[in-house]
Amino acid sequence: MTRLDRRLEGVTPATILRDGGVEDMTADVIDRTAAVPGGSISILEGGAGRPLLVLHPAGGAGAWMPYHEMLAQHFRVIAPDSPGFGRSAQIESVEGVDDLAFLYADLIAKMGLQDPMVLGFSFGGWVAAELAVLAPELISRLVLVDAIGLRVPGAPIADQFAMGPQEKIAALFHDPAAAADLFPENPDLDTLTAFYRDETAFARYAWSPFCCNPKLAKRLYRISAPTLVLWGGDDRLVPLSHGEKYAAMIPDAELQVIPDAGHAVLMERPKEAVQAIVRFLER
Amino acid sequence: MRFNLFHLMPYPYLPDDFDENYTSASLILPNSVYDPTLGAALFNRYLDELEYAEKLGFDSVCVNEHHQSAYGLMPSPNIVLAALARRTSTIGLGVLGNAIAIRDHPLRVAEEVAMLDAISGGRVISGFVRGIGFEYYAQSISPTKSLARFREAHDLIIKAWTTREPFQWVSDNYEFRYVNVWPRTVQQPHPPIWVPGTGSYETMKWVAEHRYNYLSVYAPSRVIKGWFDGFRRAAAECGYTPEPEQIGLSIPIYVAETDAKAHEEGRQHVEWLYRRGLKITQQLYFPAGYMTEKSWRGLVSAGAKQFFELSYEELLEQGYAIVGSPATVREKLKALESYLGFGNLCAVLQIGDMPFDRTIRSMELFASEVMPAFERSGAAHRPALEPVG
Repeated sequence: MTRLDRRLEGVTPATILRDGGVEDMTADVIDRTAAVPGGSISILEGGAGRPLLVLHPAGGAGAWMPYHEMLAQHFRVIAPDSPGFGRSAQIESVEGVDDLAFLYADLIAKMGLQDPMVLGFSFGGWVAAELAVLAPELISRLVLVDAIGLRVPGAPIADQFAMGPQEKIAALFHDPAAAADLFPENPDLDTLTAFYRDETAFARYAWSPFCCNPKLAKRLYRISAPTLVLWGGDDRLVPLSHGEKYAAMIPDAELQVIPDAGHAVLMERPKEAVQAIVRFLER
Repeated sequence: MRFNLFHLMPYPYLPDDFDENYTSASLILPNSVYDPTLGAALFNRYLDELEYAEKLGFDSVCVNEHHQSAYGLMPSPNIVLAALARRTSTIGLGVLGNAIAIRDHPLRVAEEVAMLDAISGGRVISGFVRGIGFEYYAQSISPTKSLARFREAHDLIIKAWTTREPFQWVSDNYEFRYVNVWPRTVQQPHPPIWVPGTGSYETMKWVAEHRYNYLSVYAPSRVIKGWFDGFRRAAAECGYTPEPEQIGLSIPIYVAETDAKAHEEGRQHVEWLYRRGLKITQQLYFPAGYMTEKSWRGLVSAGAKQFFELSYEELLEQGYAIVGSPATVREKLKALESYLGFGNLCAVLQIGDMPFDRTIRSMELFASEVMPAFERSGAAHRPALEPVG
C-alpha cells in the first residue's frame, strides 16, 4: 500500500461516499512535489481534460476526497497543499494569503497550465479570489465555494480557532450527525498533530486580520473570469451575505445556493455541489 | 532564599452556577459578572496586602499581566506597581511580567518600567512573558508570531535601555525610526529580568544565555524538576553554574495554625484557583501555533489533566500548592528546595477567593514562622538608591 493509498483510506468515510454516489475511485491519482520559491509543495493530481486548480479549505489538505474524484471525471484536477497545510512544509517567506496568490500564479506558469480554471473552497476561496485579483488574465473560470476573505459589517465569520472538535462539526455541517464519521472518535497522536499543523498554518494566514483581507473587496472589480459563487444554504461559519458580496462585486458572477448544506458543502453535498460546478465550468 | 509575595489579584465573585454553565473564567466570561463597586474595594484590599508585605520583611512583591479575566485583574501590572512605588520604600517591585509579545508597542513597556524604576529609586524587577494563549485572542495577535515577537520586543527594550543615542529599529514585527527612551532606568544597565518557562528547552537556553532568572509556572513538582535540571544544563552549556537565586519556584501556599485548620480553610481557595480561575477550554489556552509542533506533541502525549480537572488531593499530592501548619509548610518547602534546587520563591499567598483576614494571617505566619528557617539571600536586588520620600 502506498503512502497515498493510506491517506485516502483515512479520509474517505463511508457516509460521504454513499452520499456522494461514488462507489469506487477510478482516477489515477498522481502524488507529486513542485518546487516553488523558498521551498516546495505537495500536489495531488488526477483526471484529464482542461486544467482545474482546486485550492483546499483550512482543514482537508493532502486528501483526495470524493469531490476531487467527481471533478476528475470531467477535468484534470490539480490539488496542491498550501505551505504549512497537509503534506507541504511551512515556507518562511510565505506569510500571508497575498504570498499564496503569487505562489499559485507562479505555479500556473511553471506547470504550463493553459487557461486554467480555479476552484477555491473556504480558505482556498480566499486564496483563489486573491489570485484572480492579482493575475486576472491567467484564469479562465473562477469558482468560490463558501469562501472567506471578505469583511461584511454585521455578519462576522465565526471564530473556528476558539471551537472544540464538536463545536467545529456543529458549525461546519448542516447535519452534524451525518458528518460525525469524518472525525475519528479517538484520534491517534499523528492525526491530532496533523490537525494542529493545519490549524497552525491557518492561524499564520488568517488570525489577524481575521479570515480576510480588508482591501480585497475593493479589488474584486479586476476579476475578468466568469465566476460561480457557490454557497451552502445553512453556512453557520461564513454567512451567506459574504457570498452575496462576492457575487455583487465580481463583475461577471452568479450566486448559487445549495439548500440543506453547511459550510463544508463539498463534503456534505458533494454530488449536488459538483453537479453545479461542472454545469458552470462546461457551459 | 529570596522571598517574593506573588499576587494575581483574582476576581472571586463568580456566579453561583459558574461550574455548571461557564466554560471559562477568561476571555468569554462576560464582564457583567464584574461588579464595579466590589471590584474597586477589591483592588484597594489587594494593594493593602501587597503593601503589608514590606512590613513583614518580604524581599519583593510581584504582580502579572492578564487580560479579560477573572483569574487576574491586572491588564496593566505597571499601574499596580505605580500605586505601590510611593507607598513602600524598600521592597522590590516585580512585574512577572509585562506580556511584551502581545503589546503593539514594546517601547511603551521600556518607558513605563523606566518610570517605575525612577519613582521607586531602582526597586523594579522587570519580568517578560509571552502571555497565556487566550491573550492572543484578546489582543488579536497571531499566536504563530508569539515567540518571534517576544524575542524581538525583548531585544528592542534592552537596546532602548542601554543605548545612549537615538537609533533606528527594524525587525520582522516592529519598525521604529526613532528610539530614544526617556527616562532612563535607575538600575544600570537595566533592572533585573526574570522570565518564566513552561518546559521548552529553547526558552531555558535563551534565559541561561542572558543570565536572567528562570521561573516555573504551575506544574507538578516532578515536571518542574525536569525544567530546573534543564535550565542548569543550559547554563552549564553556557559555561557557568547558576546561582540558587537564578532559579525561581512559583507556588500557592496557605499557612494556618494547624494542618487541620489549614486544609479545612484552604481547600476551597486552592480549588477556586485551579478549578475556577484557571478554567478554560483547550483551544483558548493553547491556540494553534502558540507552541511548536514538537512541544505540542509532548504536551498531548503526556496526557496531563488540565488544571480544572484536578481534585484538591491531586493538586496537593502533585505539588501544585502547599497547605499546612507553619511546621508542615517549612518541612515541605525544605524538601522541595533540596529536590528541585531553587533559591527564589514566588509565593502566592492570596489564593483564589481567599478573604482578607485569612490572607493576612497566612502572610504573617509565613513571615514569622516559615521564612526565618531559611538563609536569606535577597540582597542581590537591593534598591539602587536610598529610599525616597
